[in-house]
Formats: sequence, structure tokens, C-alpha cells
Amino acid sequence: MKVKKMKDSRLSTIILHNVLIGVLAFIWLIPIVWLLCTSFSAYTGMNSKTFFPEKWSIQGYVSLFHPDTVAQFPQWFINTFIVACATCVISTMFVLMVAYATSIMRFPMRKPLMNMAVILNLFPGMLAMIAVYFVLKTFNLTNSYAGLIMVYSASSGLGYLIAKGFFDTVPRALCEAARIDGCSEARIFFQMVIPMSRPIVVYTVINSFLAPWMDFVFAKMILNAGVSSKYTVAIGLYKMLDKQLLNDYFTQFCAGGVLVSIPISILFIIMQKFYVEGITGGAVKG
Amino acid sequence: MANQTKGGAAEAIGGFFKAIGGFFSGFGTAVAKGDLFVKLSLLWWGAGYARRKQYIKAVIMTALEAAVILFTIFFAMDYVPKFGSLGTVKAEKVFNPDTMKSEFNNYDHSFKILLFSLFSFVVWFAAIIVWMKNMMNVYKLQQMDEAGEHINTFEEDLKTYVGEKFHITLLTLPVLGVIVFTLIPILLLVFVAFTNYDQNHMPPSQLFSWVGFTNFITLFGGGGLTSTFGYAFVRVLGWTLVWAFFSTLTTYIGGILLSLLLNSKKTRAPKFWRFLFVVTIAVPQFVSLLLVRNFFADNGIVNTICDNIHLTGFLKDIGLVGTNYIPFLSAPGWAHVMIIIINIWVGVPYQMLIATGVLMNIPSDQLESAKVDGAKPFQIFRKITMPYMLFITGPALVTDFVKNVNNFNVIYLLTQDVYTTTDQAMANSQAQEVDLLVTWLFRLTQDYYNYKMASVIGIIVFIICAVFTLVAFNFMIKGDKEGTYQ
Amino acid sequence: MRKKLISMLLCATMVATVFTGCGSSDDTDDKASSGTSEQKDSGDKDASGSIKLTLWGAEGDQDFLKDIVSKFESTYSDQKFDISIGVESESSAKDTVLTDIEAAADVYSFASDQISDLVRAGALANLDDVSEVLTKANKKLDDVKSANVPDSIEAATVDGKMYAFPTSGANTYFLYYDKSKISEKDAANWDTLLAAAKKSGKKVGMTLNSGWYLASFFYGAGFTTGLNADGTTTMDWNGTSPDGIKGTDVVKSMLDIASNPAFMAVTDGKLSDTLKSGSCSAIISGTWDAGLASEVWGKNYAAIKLPTFTVGDKQVQMHPAYGYKLEAVNAYSENMGWAVLLAEFIANEESQTKHFELAEQVPTNVKALEVDAIKKNIAVAAATSQADFGVIQEVGGKYWDPAKTFGEMIAKGKLKAKDDAGIQKALDNLVAGVTAALD
Repeated sequence: MKVKKMKDSRLSTIILHNVLIGVLAFIWLIPIVWLLCTSFSAYTGMNSKTFFPEKWSIQGYVSLFHPDTVAQFPQWFINTFIVACATCVISTMFVLMVAYATSIMRFPMRKPLMNMAVILNLFPGMLAMIAVYFVLKTFNLTNSYAGLIMVYSASSGLGYLIAKGFFDTVPRALCEAARIDGCSEARIFFQMVIPMSRPIVVYTVINSFLAPWMDFVFAKMILNAGVSSKYTVAIGLYKMLDKQLLNDYFTQFCAGGVLVSIPISILFIIMQKFYVEGITGGAVKG
Repeated sequence: MANQTKGGAAEAIGGFFKAIGGFFSGFGTAVAKGDLFVKLSLLWWGAGYARRKQYIKAVIMTALEAAVILFTIFFAMDYVPKFGSLGTVKAEKVFNPDTMKSEFNNYDHSFKILLFSLFSFVVWFAAIIVWMKNMMNVYKLQQMDEAGEHINTFEEDLKTYVGEKFHITLLTLPVLGVIVFTLIPILLLVFVAFTNYDQNHMPPSQLFSWVGFTNFITLFGGGGLTSTFGYAFVRVLGWTLVWAFFSTLTTYIGGILLSLLLNSKKTRAPKFWRFLFVVTIAVPQFVSLLLVRNFFADNGIVNTICDNIHLTGFLKDIGLVGTNYIPFLSAPGWAHVMIIIINIWVGVPYQMLIATGVLMNIPSDQLESAKVDGAKPFQIFRKITMPYMLFITGPALVTDFVKNVNNFNVIYLLTQDVYTTTDQAMANSQAQEVDLLVTWLFRLTQDYYNYKMASVIGIIVFIICAVFTLVAFNFMIKGDKEGTYQ
Repeated sequence: MRKKLISMLLCATMVATVFTGCGSSDDTDDKASSGTSEQKDSGDKDASGSIKLTLWGAEGDQDFLKDIVSKFESTYSDQKFDISIGVESESSAKDTVLTDIEAAADVYSFASDQISDLVRAGALANLDDVSEVLTKANKKLDDVKSANVPDSIEAATVDGKMYAFPTSGANTYFLYYDKSKISEKDAANWDTLLAAAKKSGKKVGMTLNSGWYLASFFYGAGFTTGLNADGTTTMDWNGTSPDGIKGTDVVKSMLDIASNPAFMAVTDGKLSDTLKSGSCSAIISGTWDAGLASEVWGKNYAAIKLPTFTVGDKQVQMHPAYGYKLEAVNAYSENMGWAVLLAEFIANEESQTKHFELAEQVPTNVKALEVDAIKKNIAVAAATSQADFGVIQEVGGKYWDPAKTFGEMIAKGKLKAKDDAGIQKALDNLVAGVTAALD
């Protein structure tokens, strides 16, 4: 009798439990669903009367691929992709390099350098923006992707902590053994530690790849020649929300948002496992 | 994060001074005891290496020395002498109709003077270190030579950079990147806080100059009767701290609860559920937040719905709203709460991912024994899960707080162009009730070119973050339970 | 110890070489340019001798500008050009330009209320200094001055010096209304206007939380704003106007209007949205909404000057801010001469006529204004009918935020019509904020 009762309550709590998650997921997805619906609206402006568009259409997507002077989505996508790839390579390298040096190796400047990094991380990045702009201008790198890539990746070494935390979990004895066998540090780095740290590499790659897709502040500042075909996706879409343009481009904005999110979501699905392991491997020991 | 900062503070400072002392004494010894060529290296950097037949090194060091000298003569000297005044010659131009171009005088550009002087200082600082270090190296070579030890060939030297000196190979580029793109910009703006760089003193047409601590006095309530900066600063600072506290706390707890919910054995298809939440991270913030903002706009969908179900009317009757709509993002109070709630929406999935990983690593024996002892789920959560989470992610919590103090995106995207303050004293300082210090300083630079005040605010933000970090880590050392979970 | 020092050495070396590398190349640039006075990037110099110019214009003007640029190139066919066109709306030109004047376009369009800030920052070329170059276009600066409406020249002039070419006018706001709901007589003053709107079950929309719209009530009552040489603003709204109207009474009238259920305070920038939503039978906006208004109301679409409002027992005409769009030449343009010629070309009679045809921009050129199509245009007629009492708004940067907040306070009902002291205090705060020294 008693056993049976327990089973009953179990079943009902399981249902309740899953319904609760469902409700939460529903709340979380409302804006995303709205984004998706609005992107299929036949009306170009913002609809604030109903949740679902009154008339459905794929016009938003169609016009997105027929560039005019404002919207040059395919071009933006290519631009951002190039910037993102370059940023991704450089940032990942920098982060892993710094993380390895500070985690596996021991040298006298290690602590002071790490303390410097902590201090530098406390300054608001927004503030340095104007100065960064002038530094780039000095090197004649404004309005160029090289400049943008540098902004995204040059200081990436400062974000080494999570990767360092992960490397800290690599058994020290393994490295020592390799050293005794006469392995150079470079070989230990490339052939031992990196292959053992797939999750954190993936985590770093995703994170640095995403930055150019999300950032609109720095990009707006650096690509300031007003030439639409040179924009990244983020500024291109952001400019569509200009007062004069909003009414004609809101649906395209939503469509663009959806198109950007799709590859990122896929990236997340594939990498989810690594991502979680990478984050936590680093955060746990951090 | 925790490890180096914890023991860090005092130890690092002590170690730092010791290192500096050692450096100088090493240099002194080298100068005093070195032979002729070592002493000659004071003037000609390559001398010592040339004497020990390390010719390539000698050439490199000579070239480096030449580069520094050339840099000083042809670049630094154009700017550094003007550092004290930040320039005196204003731009003037004459149009030449024959060439169809304007001809400018050789005018001073205050910002460039500041920036390039700073560049020069950094280069000189590095050069001095190189110079001193170089002395010690050649002295060491002399000693090795005298002792008859093997002196590395250039090739052997190179090899050490993938061996015991591999960290140099690794760190050079990242550190250089940080110096140029973070350190110098930050130093530059620290300097700007002591100048009058604002709308009335904008290069290239005008010059700015040093003003000492005037800007700091303005911020703390000085600066004349009309200035409301002091008032606005206190209000903005208050909200910044409240925001940082609540946004960190809510997303942290929300993330843990959500991950407990998802990782419970009762959950069916946890991967699917988790993916649904992660999708919200995948949509770029400037898209999702701008959407949410329109969602809650004064004439947005939520208001339309609330109006239809007569919620607006009800709230109006009980006096919570005075308008025909619910001012979700356009009235103080409402906006503050809404921003924190929306931030939960943004931040929880991310925290959930972190918590998921941490919870997977909870020592299962503890959980098992607790269950055997008949502990209720809530007790397990309070006595085991939570302390464990706190122990593991405590340092990350501190970093999150600092990140939230500087959380530009959420506030800017949700309030820019939508929120209008009705507090005249705030408006007179271009601030709003929902501004964080960072969004305020952003607006000051973008719309009002008030770089000097923005820099002052930036320094204050830094001080707040630094103090908080120090206090938090000190607190953690006291409550350190290291070993409990190992 | 040794390792540490070597690490520092290497870092320092890298830093030193990188900086010296950049330093020396910069240096040669400097030396080369000090003679020719070019402050722009070396990338702008072109060996082939073609003139490189950048041109910024509003989003909607891109096709127009492309057309004009090709005409410009064929007019001066003996010179090769490389002209790139970028997007920058007139209303935000100042913000972008002042962030980095040297990086801004050689020629760009801006709204006339930004001129004082731009001039003080030294961003605009003084046209009197470069007027000689106009002989290439067979003109003198005086010809330009006489060809355009005097007010537009005044708007382009600061301290007696002309800084920009007027391209279009009537940058102002007036009343659009639905003829089937509101008669022309109703539209003459706020009381009848609101009553008529109420009867039709619709609203009258106006933006209050913007210094541009808000000022029309005060200007109407005879109050002024002004600009000092140091960039600070003068304002007398907290006193009594030369017309004998007290500032507090103006605010009370505004509160009276704003509290009317038929009035809708529209957030700045949302006028087009509101118009499109169809909830208004009258709305105060500018020529840019003409197309939309005629689309929404069809044959009932009408436009007229701003209404009068009641102060005590008097009817007071609102005086809108009346601005122009101007074509600027960057003071730091590398090819100053050609930039001036291009700007003048964009502002000439033919271009202005074309601009009206393509984008309904009201010309400032006296001859271009004589075209029938312009005279018949309902919105333009309403806009230009206000030219006589429209005010060229002269304010500094400190005006906008406090004014915006003041408008919001009225729109949100934060002030009470009976609370004279409260209104006076709010006005005093407003004046204090607006007239504060720049910092």
C-alpha cells in the first residue's frame, strides 16, 4: 500500500516537474517566437497591436537578399564572417598561449603579469574606446577589417582565466614526465596539452567567433565612413532601426536577426557538450 | 581567478618591490664589476656580445639601440617636449586657389601630443629595462667566459625559446596586444581626467590643457551652483550598485535553480529543454533586447494586451500608474524592476550552463550519504549543493558583479531613445535614473564630447570595482574552506 | 631571475621595434605633409591624380546623390574624380562629425540647428575664405547668397561668415489633419481642434518631449532662446515675454492641452508610427510624413499651419522652429577646392529642383521655388506658410536634455496647473540647466 502511494506521487510530480519546465521554456521563448513571427510579416514596420502578424509573407527575407542602399545583408554576412574567422583564430591562439604560460609554466614575471591582468580587467572597456579609436587611426586602420579584427582580438589575452583554470586540471605529472623525456615546452603545448583540452578550445573558439556578430558599439565607431557595404551584420541591422528607416525595415531587421541566430544556434547544438565542459572545467578550478 | 588574487595582494606587492630591488642591485653589480666591454655596453648595447663573439646578438642589440635613438629624435621629440602644455599653436589655414587645397600652419594637436607622448614614455620605459637587462646579460657572459663555461651560439639561444623560455614566445604577442589596445588607452584616459578636454576644447581646431583635480571637484558637488553633477553622480552610482547586486544575485540563483530543475532525474528529454533555453543566448543581444524593448513599449504589444484584459485600468484605479498605459520602461521604479527582470531572461540560461557543469562535479558520496540519512531535497540543497556551488563559483560571482557594474549592453539597448527622465537635476547633467555609470559616460562622450568628465567617471568605476574585488576576496580568504571538498 | 629579465627584454624589444617602426613611418608622413598641409591619411593621396572625395547624405537621398555626383563629374570632365557616397542622416551628422572631424566626409548635409556646434569645433570651412574657387563654376559667393531665400542664408551664417550652402528649407512642423473629421476652422486653434477630435473619437498627436517641438509654444508667446559666442545658451522662459505673457501661463496652457483626453503625447521619433496606426485625426509633424499622411487619410488628407493656443483670454499663434538643411564642407578636407565646388553643385538650382522631384525636399533657391508642383503641394504650402513666423532655433548643446525632460514632465502630468510655484520652479530649473556653462 505504502509503496504504491509513493509511486503515484512520483508520477504526478514528474508530470508537474516537466510542466513547470515547459512553462518556463515557454516564457523564455516568447520573444524568440515573436522575432520569428514578425520576420514573416507582410507589414514592413513594427506591429504593436497583435502578437502574430495580420498577414504572413516571406517578403522580409526576400528583400534581405535583394540589397538596396540600406540593406546589404549578404555582403554584411560575408564581412562579418571574415572578421569573425580572423578574430577567432587570433583570439583563440592568444588565449591558449597566455593560459598555458600562466598555468603550466613557472617563471618569475608570472604573478605580476597575472595581477596586472586582474587590474586591467576592472577598467570599463567603454571608456578606452575613444583612445582605441585614435590608436587605430594612428596606424591608419580605421574603416578596415584589420582594425576591427585587432580591436576584437588584440586584448583577448586578458580573458585567459577560464582556459587557465582548465589547464590547471591537466595532471602536472604528465608534463613533468614529458619534460624529463626531453620534450620541448612547445611540443608539450601543441602535442599534449592542447589535444587534451578539447572542451576549452571549443569554448574559446565559439566565444571569440561570436564577438563580431554581437558587437555594435566598437564596430560603429571604427567603420565610420558611412559606407553600408562595409558594415558588419550587427551595425547594418542596428542602423535599420534608425527613426527614418524603422517603418520600412523592421521586418527585415527581424529576418536578419533570425538568419544570424540560426548558424549560432546550430553551433551551440553541436558544441553544447564541449561548451559546458569547457566553461565548468575552467570555472571550477578558476 | 581566486588562487592568484587571494594570496596575491600583500604577497604580490612585497614580491614586486623585492624583484625591483634585485633588479637594480643586479644592474649595479654589472656596472661596477664588469670589464671594459661590459662598461662600454652602457653606451653601445652590442659591445659585450661582440666581445664574447655573439655577433648576431651584437648586431640585433645595436640595431635596437639605433631604433630607439631614431625613434626618440624623429618621433618622440615632436611630441614629448609639448607634453607639459599639451600644445600652444592653434590650427590656422589659408586657402590656396591654385592648388585647390588649404594650407595649414604647423599646428599642435593636443590629443596626439598626449597619445604619442604616452607611446614614447612606454617605449622609453621598455628601452631602459632592456638597457639595464642587457648590462646584466653581458656581465653574466663575462662571468661565464671567465669561468670557461660554454657560451651559447645564436642557434642555441633561439632554441631556448621553444624550451625553457617558451613562455616568452607565448606571451610576447598577447602582452603587446594588451599594451597597445588596453593599457595605453586606459592610461591615456586617466590623463584626460586631469585635462579640460571637452566640447569647447576639441582638437584639431582647439587645444586642451591640464587642469589638475578640477573635474573631480566638479563631480563631487563643487563647480558652481548650476552644476548638478554631484547629485546625478550619487543617484547613478546608487542605481549602478543596486543593479549590479540584484542582477548578479538573480541570475546566479536563477541559473542554479534552473539547472537543478533540468538535471533532475524527473526531467524528460533534458537536452531538448536545455537547448530551448540556450537558443536565447544564440540570438544576439542587440536583436533580442531591442525586440523585448518594443514588446514592453508604451504602445507595445504587452500594453495592448494589458489594456484588453483591463489590467491597465485596474492598476490605474489603485494608483500604481498615472497614464493610459503601463510605463514598463519609461518611468523610474517600473523601469528599474523591468530591467532587472529582463536581465534574468538574458542571464539565466548562461548561468544555467555554468551551474550544470559544476553540479555534475558535486561529490556524489556526500549526496548519497545525506539521502541515506533521510535529508529532504531542500536540506540537501541548503546544506550541500549551495555551499559547494558557492565555494566553486564564488570568485566567478565577484567577477560577475564587476561585469554587471560595466554591463553596457542591457541598459543601453533597453533604455536608449525610450526613457526620458522627469528629474530636472538629472537632465541638467545629461543623466537618467536608469543610467549606469558606464552608460552615462558613454552618453557624455558620444553626445556631449565631455571626455574629461567621462574619464573621471571611468576612474571612479575602476575604484569601485577594485575596492569591491579586494574586499570580496579578503572576505573569501577568511571563510576559506579549501580542503573541504578535496 | 634571469628568465624573468629575459622575458621583459623580449617584450620590451618587441614593443620598441613595433613603435619605432610605426614611429618612423609616421614621421616621414609628417615631414612630407607639413609642406602641403595635408592632415589626412596618406591613403587619400592618389598617384593617378584623381581627386578623392567622400560625400555623406541621408538614407533616402542616396539615389539623388548618385545622380548629382555623375552630373558633377561630367561638368568637370577634365578632372578625374573618385567620389564615394556614405550614409549619414542630417539629424545626426554633428554627432558623427565631431567624434573625429578629420575622418568625416569632405562634403555632408546637416540640419541648420547644428551649425553653431560645428562652427565652434572648427569643423566647417569658412566659405568666404574659399569663395575664389567658385569662379570655376562661373559664380561668386554673392550669387549664391542672392539666389537663395534670405532666411536660409542667415541660417548658414554665424557671426557674419557663411559656413554652408543651403539645400532645402521648410525643415519645420505643422498640422496634418483628416478633412472628414476636422474642418479647417476647427484646425485653427487647439480648443476647437481637440473638441473636434474628441467628437470623432480620435486624437491629436504631438511630440512634447523634444526641445524642437516644445519650443513652439514659448516662441509663440514671444519668448526667445539665443546662443552666446562661448556656446552657452540664453533663455528667458521663466520670466515674462516682451508680449507680456508669463512663462508659467504658457506652461498652464500646455498642461491644459496635454491633459485633454483627446490629446496624445507622442514619444520623440514615434510620430510616423502613430500616424500610421490611424489613431489620430490630426498630428503635428513635418514634410517627411506627407506621403504617409496622404496614404493614411487618402482624399481627406490636409495640412495647415500650427494652431493657436489659449493663454488667459488671448489666442496665441504657435511659432515653430523653422530650419534648413545645409551642405557643409569639411574644414579639414584635403581637396578643399573641389569639395566646395561639389557642395555648391549639390545646392544649385538644378539640383534643388531635382531633389524636390525625387524626395519632396523644399528648395531654398528662389527660382526653384517658383515651380508649379511646389506651389500645389499641400504639405509644402503648409510648411512655407509658416516661414514668416517660424523661428530659426538658436540653441547650444545644453538645451536639448533639459528641454526634453521639461516636455516629458508636461506630457506625463508631473506639473499641476494649479501649482504656480511648482511650475515656476520647474521653469527656473529648466533655464538653469539650459543656460549652464559648458563642461
